[in-house]
Amino acid sequence: MAVSRITSPKPYMRSKPRATIDWTKYDTGEFYDEIITPARRARPATRGLVAFMRKQTIKHLISRQQAADLAIQEMGITFTVYSEGQNIDRSWPMDIIPRIIPLSEWQVLEQGLIQRLTALNFFIDDIYNKQQILKDGVVPREIIDSSPGFLRPCVGAKPRHGVWSHICGSDLVRDGDGTVYVLEDNLRVPSGVSYMLENRAISKRVLPQLFERNSILPVADYPSQLFDMLTSLSPRRSIRPEIVVMTPGTFNSAYFEHAYLAQRMGAELVEGSDLMVDSQDKVFMKTIRGLAPVDVIYRRINDDYLDPDVFRPESTLGTPGLFRAWRKGNVGLANAPGAGVADDKVIYTFVPAIIKYYLGENPIIPNVPSFLCVNPKERKHVLANLPTMVVKPANESGGYGMLIGPAASKKELALFADLINKNPRNYMAQPALKLSTAPTLCGNNIEPRHLDLRPFILQGKKHYVTPGGLTRVALRKGSLVVNSSQGGGSKDTWIVDTEAH
Amino acid sequence: MLSRVAERVYWLGRFLERTENTARLLLVRHNAVLDLPKEVQPGWDLLLQVLGAEEAFAKLPGAATEKNIISFVFGERANPSSIISSLTAARENMRTTREILPSETWERVNSLYLSVARRSNKDLPRGVRHAVLNNIVQCCQQVTGMLAGSMNHDAAYQFVRLGRNLERADMSTRIIDAASAGLMGDIEETSPFRNVLWISVLQSLSAYQMYRLDVRSTVNRQDVLAFLFQSTVFPRAIAHSLLEIENSMKLLPDPKNARDVVATLRRQLKETDCSALAGSELHNFIDVLQMQLVEVHSAIAVRWFTHESS
Repeated sequence: MAVSRITSPKPYMRSKPRATIDWTKYDTGEFYDEIITPARRARPATRGLVAFMRKQTIKHLISRQQAADLAIQEMGITFTVYSEGQNIDRSWPMDIIPRIIPLSEWQVLEQGLIQRLTALNFFIDDIYNKQQILKDGVVPREIIDSSPGFLRPCVGAKPRHGVWSHICGSDLVRDGDGTVYVLEDNLRVPSGVSYMLENRAISKRVLPQLFERNSILPVADYPSQLFDMLTSLSPRRSIRPEIVVMTPGTFNSAYFEHAYLAQRMGAELVEGSDLMVDSQDKVFMKTIRGLAPVDVIYRRINDDYLDPDVFRPESTLGTPGLFRAWRKGNVGLANAPGAGVADDKVIYTFVPAIIKYYLGENPIIPNVPSFLCVNPKERKHVLANLPTMVVKPANESGGYGMLIGPAASKKELALFADLINKNPRNYMAQPALKLSTAPTLCGNNIEPRHLDLRPFILQGKKHYVTPGGLTRVALRKGSLVVNSSQGGGSKDTWIVDTEAH
Repeated sequence: MLSRVAERVYWLGRFLERTENTARLLLVRHNAVLDLPKEVQPGWDLLLQVLGAEEAFAKLPGAATEKNIISFVFGERANPSSIISSLTAARENMRTTREILPSETWERVNSLYLSVARRSNKDLPRGVRHAVLNNIVQCCQQVTGMLAGSMNHDAAYQFVRLGRNLERADMSTRIIDAASAGLMGDIEETSPFRNVLWISVLQSLSAYQMYRLDVRSTVNRQDVLAFLFQSTVFPRAIAHSLLEIENSMKLLPDPKNARDVVATLRRQLKETDCSALAGSELHNFIDVLQMQLVEVHSAIAVRWFTHESS
């Protein structure tokens, strides 16, 4: 007997359901995901986003991503990569799925960032003046003496408000258990803030629906905050100060950002050769009306190249006499030369103690636990746990000479154990973190990718922290490298107020 | 305003105008080919003469065919006066002065650049030529309009204007020179097509309709030259461009010497008897005029771009 195969159609279902985004295959693994819980539910602050995405097809999301890519190309949002002897202008890579942080959590981080920068500025000012913290034995003197970031010509300088690092970009990461750590501080010439602003402009263009449903803190006033902060550094108080942005030139990888910030602040964008310092140690720029006085320089050029009279004599990017003018207080420099003394890897391990020393407070955002191999006890711990540690040389930057324990071979582990024993002073180690992830459009799928966060903190007369910051994301599966020159991308970062409505 | 920035926006003005004029030139030549009888058609190599690009063309492989010359003038990066080269230079000057220009103008120039760059290694067959070239002319005009309508008319704007008008004057002399080259000596008197040819000179400068409106006589050598050299109402006439240059200079700090150079040139031009300019006389006159335009450029550079102390 034939069994009827005909079943009645379900009344409210389309005959062919559209393939909408399916979270059941989204596997966060052992990592903390910023958007989706291990049970594959939305976190409280991400409900709006997740609900929106559930209704989208992957095809639609891809078309939005393409619209974003096109807008980025047409707006000319680029970064410059130096490759094979050529400078290539590449379009800025941005993933359209935003990264979300709840406002309540952010408010704590914001306080922590302000606390940290305040203490670091006290520290730098102390190091170049009284050196009380060294006398009190909180930070060992030999660490400063051997630091390449310590610039002797700066000893005795007194920048306005006692602030040396006016613009700081601190990198935050979240570990597997949800704890947020400061990975490093960039106190010299941190970059990326223009991309934070452009990412927001792009997501407003391509996903306007999302902004209606969520209460997202705006980021657009950064340029005016920066302008106000720079104004507070002017040596001349009564008049409207002349502020300039100083760039190493059009071939610098961050040139786009230099031009962007100058434009948004209505400041002149100058190169070293546009400035001159006269016999009175005053700074002028060369204009169509002749020489015009300059009060504050937001310099995006490294200490080394700033002034050939004091630092690298062969530098053609800087302006001779600039350092002298700053020492005399004739011009404000942001950031001040020598601020880098506080962002080297060994000083980093002392930041909690520095906060305690100057502010009498406990750090609000913890450091990644760090072990100085020079201490026998800490060295023993490092050597015993080498396969789970990241070992960094103290005075190198750019990720050179590092050991990433979980990814290292037995031979490499043995080699590093040997190196540490031979020269313990030169190494510090941290447990390898399980960097958090967020859903990212990868080809035709949505997959978790690791990310970090760089908020920008301003300190002049007052403090300001960008609501959120620049989220950088490693686009390759499993990769922890978020750098845009090495295949990293970015995301718009939303601070969402869940109490609103 | 920084001298370096002033120099860059000046060159932005020049290169944008050069892009537009080159596209116009190709467009007019393209239309003329469809119009004129074969025996009086100027060869395509005339384009190379106008642009002073004969040598650069000879260095590359390929005969002087319509297809090769169009590609060379449109998309050849090895040709410094091609549309893609001018546009690249305009974009680079704009990219490095973005902080003072309205951001939508940068987006417009950048997207024009991207669209031309995508085509630049392809042919420009007759079927698409009009659309592509017309789009370039329109984009350039949009940018000019955006600058006029949304940028402060401050010093920076005057430098863009200086560059635009000086380039326009220079390009006009080149076009008159090349277009009239086919009309030298006896040919002009005997040619049954002489009117058509003078009309094509006017068309090369988009001047035909305006000539009709303003001059109200037949198309003849003397009136055409007087219109193109001395008119102060037709925007592509040399005298008008010089007037604009002088007006821009008046709005810039301390223009004294630079302004004198332009004023002298304007006076000379006004006093020129155009009926005497025939054949090689015309060619020599244009040569001298081009040298004088170079002097105007030098006067601008000395006055506003360079600082003796550095």
